[in-house]
Amino acid sequence: MSPIPPDEEFGPDRTKAATPERMAHIDMDMFKANVVMLRELVAPAGVMLAVKANGYGHGMIPMAWAALQAGAESLAVLDIPAALELRAAGVNAPVFAWMHDPDADFSAAADADIDLGISAIWQLDAIAAAGSRIAPRVHLKIDTGLSRNGATAVDWPDLVRAAMAADAAGSVTLYAAWSHLADASPADDAVALAKFHEAVDVAKALGATFSKLHIAASSAGIRMPEARLDFVRFGIAAYGISPFDDATGRDLDLGPVMTLSARVASVKRVPAGQGVSYGYLHRTEQESSLALVPLGYADGIPRFATGKARVMLNGKQYPIAGRIAMDQFVIDVGDDPVSPGDHVIIFSQGWLGEPTAEDWASFAGTIGDEIVARIGHRVVRRYIGVGHDIDTGLWEPGYNC
Amino acid sequence: MSAPPLRLVTVDLAAVRHNIYTLGTLVDGPHVMAVVKANAYGHGAVPVAKAALAAGATYLGVADVTEALELRAAGITAPILAWLHDAEPNFDAAYDAEIDLGISSVEQLQSLSRTSARGENTIRFNSRAAVVHLKIDTGLGRNGALDSQWEELFELAEQREGEGLITVRGIFSHLSNTSDEEDVKQLAVFNGAVAMAREAGLNPEFRHLASTAAAIRLPETRLDMVRIGIGMYGLSPFFLQSSAELGLRPAMTLESRVIAVKTVPADTGVSYGYSYRTERESTLALVALGYADGIPRRGSNGAPVFIGGKTYRVAGRIAMDQLVVDLGSDTAEVGDRAVLFGDPALGFPAADDWASAADTINYEIVTRLGDRFERRYQS
Repeated sequence: MSPIPPDEEFGPDRTKAATPERMAHIDMDMFKANVVMLRELVAPAGVMLAVKANGYGHGMIPMAWAALQAGAESLAVLDIPAALELRAAGVNAPVFAWMHDPDADFSAAADADIDLGISAIWQLDAIAAAGSRIAPRVHLKIDTGLSRNGATAVDWPDLVRAAMAADAAGSVTLYAAWSHLADASPADDAVALAKFHEAVDVAKALGATFSKLHIAASSAGIRMPEARLDFVRFGIAAYGISPFDDATGRDLDLGPVMTLSARVASVKRVPAGQGVSYGYLHRTEQESSLALVPLGYADGIPRFATGKARVMLNGKQYPIAGRIAMDQFVIDVGDDPVSPGDHVIIFSQGWLGEPTAEDWASFAGTIGDEIVARIGHRVVRRYIGVGHDIDTGLWEPGYNC
Repeated sequence: MSAPPLRLVTVDLAAVRHNIYTLGTLVDGPHVMAVVKANAYGHGAVPVAKAALAAGATYLGVADVTEALELRAAGITAPILAWLHDAEPNFDAAYDAEIDLGISSVEQLQSLSRTSARGENTIRFNSRAAVVHLKIDTGLGRNGALDSQWEELFELAEQREGEGLITVRGIFSHLSNTSDEEDVKQLAVFNGAVAMAREAGLNPEFRHLASTAAAIRLPETRLDMVRIGIGMYGLSPFFLQSSAELGLRPAMTLESRVIAVKTVPADTGVSYGYSYRTERESTLALVALGYADGIPRRGSNGAPVFIGGKTYRVAGRIAMDQLVVDLGSDTAEVGDRAVLFGDPALGFPAADDWASAADTINYEIVTRLGDRFERRYQS
């Protein structure tokens, strides 16, 4: 970071002006606390931390480093390009990528020693054809009910045989078997887990050996101890959002990591009966102050939350008035004082009663994962936490201990 | 470039030009401002801006100064209007880059001065005046001055013009599209504001009020300039009229590819929560797009996907990075194109179909796309 002269840093106006208009604060200490809590919960099983989709919207590289600092043993991304970005940033920990298109660069993945999830024989062939000197570790995926990636029970024996042959030929290292649960119900997940063990038995009968077995993500990692196996792939829970409908992150002792805020762009006093935003869904009941907030659906604020969403301003909650537009929404603050530049909290940790990302999920009829993963790039990420650079979130030299 | 990227947005700039030309012909006379805010509604601000200018647009519109400066940095010299300002906007940089400023209040106008009371937002003026468009709130309740502020705003503007600091080039407002009746009421309020501005000695060259919807439907709102946003992208602002009915061509095609294909028995649950179950033995195609890419999760179980010449439905919940399509008794190959939406005239589902599946409007569908897409342009 470039040094800021003290008078500018602490002058009352400069601090405000230095604050971006739209901001996502990422609480690195909270994130690490969540990872530590989850690690202790599932021990002796290990933790693989998912940083796919740009770290669920939080920023992939800083979250990856923070996860490793907090004791995660490995990282999960979606695909090879994301895994290579982590390697380019200097991450040497195991990185797992499992979604591959036919043109995926298996050669680069092998050279970078990326762990590869394998769902089909063509993927093993492509790795062999890439001809890297390194035989990457492969995790064979069995579909236990989700019907996405993963070999069906019918295709599984052939996949296992092909992987054993590739291992013997030195193009891959057969390392793990895995699956993903549908979180449909505890009974459904128990069936899926049983199918997983059956598939592993089938593979063993064929002569395969696996160093690791993994199936659980956040929900089963927390509520289904028998599914933890060698490690749990934690994603959303580490970002402080509950994977369950019937429990909040707070109920699970998780702290939300992202705070979304913006500064009031303008304020106007309007008479009673003033229509607000497209379609005039809101009209002021009395003379009132309207505050314009420069966040809209282009930034990932879901338009469907219109009529339900609320935000916090100066310690008080207000409903969003009228339709959420592309770049802005309005709040009707009545006679309360408000000035341009005041901070509006869209969602945060909820300690002061302000909405959380989970509350926004219910305003928008979706899940917290979608709320945070969709926050757009006009929103500036700022990282807070001892030792973390505010702009990059990276660990600053000098804080090593 | 060899293989197509896994997540691809193709923007047909010929369609952008066609749409600008079509709407420019329709409005017959008024200038056309091409609105390229929010990264041109997800289409890519710079290439779309250039295409619109080539097709006859004379002005560009963006939300804020940052977006305007990006266009200038790309070498675009056309007039650009920016109207949504932070509480402490960067007017000095806007002045240097010759950005027209939408001014919504006396306070904003006061900050367009050599020195302000707080010593900030001060423009280092040279001999050139800052170009402003005064914004009037005629009912939307967002930005813009309400009638109680007009007199003061216009008088101050006239005074600043006299000092040579500003030129009031435009006066504008934005309609609420609540109903034609409400929009016509807004027009009357706007005309009142224009009359008052003229009495105060202002002579704005551009009166502009209509965006795409009113430009098409309410000729009396076209005035000196129309601001064309959604229509330029070939999408309809009306629920009851399609792009084709308006003579517009959707510019964006959004696609990915099939990354896995499997045949499953009847009654197989699909994706989280098993909210979908196959009715009979079926082929499922996995497509590499999810809500992290901006594909709305509310489109689960029903939104259309075009694969191998036919349109199928999303089966089960859309996940963060992927979705499943039930092909029934048809099949597909790994690597096949999966088009979520494009131009219906080419057989693709429409962005409107995704909007109705997700309980929203086509604007949100195209604008909220994520960063994992590669954008390619057809000229």
